[in-house]
Amino acid sequence: MTRLSRLLVRWEAFLFVVLIATLVFGSQVSPYFATSSNISIALASMTPVAIMAMPMTLIIITGEIDISVGSMIGLCATAMAVCLEHGFPVEAAMVVGILVGTLAGAVNGVIIVYGALPSLVVTIGTLALYRGIAQIILKERGVSSFPDWYQTIGFGTIGATPIPWSSILFVLLFVGFAVFLHATHWGRALYAIGNNREAARFSGINVRRTMLGVFVASGVMSALAAIVLTAYLASARSDTAIGLELPVITAVVLGGVNIFGGAGTLMGVLIGLLVLAFVQNSLGLAGMTPEEQKIVTGAVLIVTLVVFSASRFLKRPKSSN
Amino acid sequence: MPMSRSAGLRAILARLTGIRELNLVLVLALVCGAVTLREPRFLQAANLEQVALSATLVCIVALGEALIIIARQIDLSVGAMVAASAFVSAEWLSNHPDGSILVVLLIGCSVGAALGFGNALLVAGLRIPSIVATLGTLAVYRGGAIVYAGGRQISATILPDSYGAIAQVHVAGVSLLVWLAIGLTVALGLTARFTRTGRNLYALGSNPAGARLAGIDETRHIAFVFVLSGVLCGLVGVLWGARFGTVDAVIAPDLQLQAISAVVVGGVSIFGGSGTVYGAALGAVIFAVLQNGVQLLGINQFWLQAVVGAAILVTVIIYSRLARRAERAERHSRLRRARPGAGREAGP
Repeated sequence: MTRLSRLLVRWEAFLFVVLIATLVFGSQVSPYFATSSNISIALASMTPVAIMAMPMTLIIITGEIDISVGSMIGLCATAMAVCLEHGFPVEAAMVVGILVGTLAGAVNGVIIVYGALPSLVVTIGTLALYRGIAQIILKERGVSSFPDWYQTIGFGTIGATPIPWSSILFVLLFVGFAVFLHATHWGRALYAIGNNREAARFSGINVRRTMLGVFVASGVMSALAAIVLTAYLASARSDTAIGLELPVITAVVLGGVNIFGGAGTLMGVLIGLLVLAFVQNSLGLAGMTPEEQKIVTGAVLIVTLVVFSASRFLKRPKSSN
Repeated sequence: MPMSRSAGLRAILARLTGIRELNLVLVLALVCGAVTLREPRFLQAANLEQVALSATLVCIVALGEALIIIARQIDLSVGAMVAASAFVSAEWLSNHPDGSILVVLLIGCSVGAALGFGNALLVAGLRIPSIVATLGTLAVYRGGAIVYAGGRQISATILPDSYGAIAQVHVAGVSLLVWLAIGLTVALGLTARFTRTGRNLYALGSNPAGARLAGIDETRHIAFVFVLSGVLCGLVGVLWGARFGTVDAVIAPDLQLQAISAVVVGGVSIFGGSGTVYGAALGAVIFAVLQNGVQLLGINQFWLQAVVGAAILVTVIIYSRLARRAERAERHSRLRRARPGAGREAGP
């Protein structure tokens, strides 16, 4: 019993069991689930959320939050669409998109850090502001004049293998983020800030610059997510990625990152993302509508949290001895 | 040190400008004035009624959200609760065309209370952080409503006329819905200000550990605000159908953002412990005026969201400046009281 509860307390281990259960469930639901092409589809459709989950992890570990990620993606997609409309090559559009994303993240960061304002409120404001700017610029137009090679970023696979290009991009970014968070002193600084901001400041961490950095990172990643998503959808619109903040935050929380900051690992978030991807995919194969999938996704989040808090209750009397 | 007359006046003025609700009324008057100057039709009774009606629904939801945020929690599931209770109550009414409106209200509020109780169970019972718990229930409630509705839409043609008539009743020239919102605002404002439960919510919001040590039952109070928010959402669900005539499961998709924006612009601190429900109600009215103004002035609808976003950012920046100035002033006067000699030297 002690061993079980200790294992449950190790969130990543518990989540791994959930992932295995999801895979078993998926292969029971449909013989098509375990095919390489289906897994490839499941991964490719999750990539935009997965890309945003990494900077969101850093932000939540420092005790802040970024609600505006979906709107930043929409703004980047709009910037790219405008460039394409004016006849610029798609490479130039991608550069402009990354610049716009960086700027949007920097605006968030500057207002939050130098205004000493709550990130929840500020990013609710920029959620509306960025989406509004995107709508003002692009109105209801959709731009889909992307070259063919661009669309392979979205759902193309490497040669004859079933590995999507977007997954390669994700893996590279993931390794970068994981090394940064778990193997550098900058990463340790994020945990220190999330646990006790004052103490972090007195121990010589430049809290303001670090905080600004994670919000800028969120902006840059939103541009990359915009590139993957517009390639996947083969169109850029002002309402691209509307509501994306919900699955991103869900994945991070499911991954065991403490919503109040100071704790969590990227490995947990990765497993959380895989659980979400395969739950949605297997429910889709089972013929469930997107709304029914939404219920199950929400229920998976709630049940894992309930189980985790129950395991904490189991542990409590022992720790008091 | 005798206070000169102008200094006394200035002190009174400083006290008045320190009351956030008065500032909000001023902002509201300025926005209304600006819109009226460009488009006098704004002041026509019919238009003002539209503004009031659209403020009403967000306002009632914002009242519950304000109490939750004052207690240092958050409820992201309000839009889903409104949709679920609106659909269930409209469906019951379409099956029972002779049913009493009171029964419909009871059904709507019960559905809301049950969903709010679900939130309370997770947040107050299992101590799951409210931002995460209600993120989950947002998906479950909204998805549940959509699946239950199965794509059906209950329109005014099926519903009995008595239902839509709720929105048409006028008392003293003002719609009953508006009176209802005003009544609820005053009632909850008085509750928050003068009852023990209300004061305990502020205590829990400003210092949860201290409040627990003082013997405040955290579980019961947090559960209370979440159920209350559910009941208010249920009420709004019923009114929603009465006002718009058509109900489906995807109504009010971003009501949580509207409600939280109204609460924040209304001067409630997102960290809990300060602000009033009156401010939240004024916040809802300001957003309704902005929305109406954008429509009346013929500004492209696409501008509305950007205007709303900018308004949120500007108000939080101003509030934090004001709060910091007040904090500095208080620290200064405390210093003066503690060390009279030092205070006199630093004085004018």
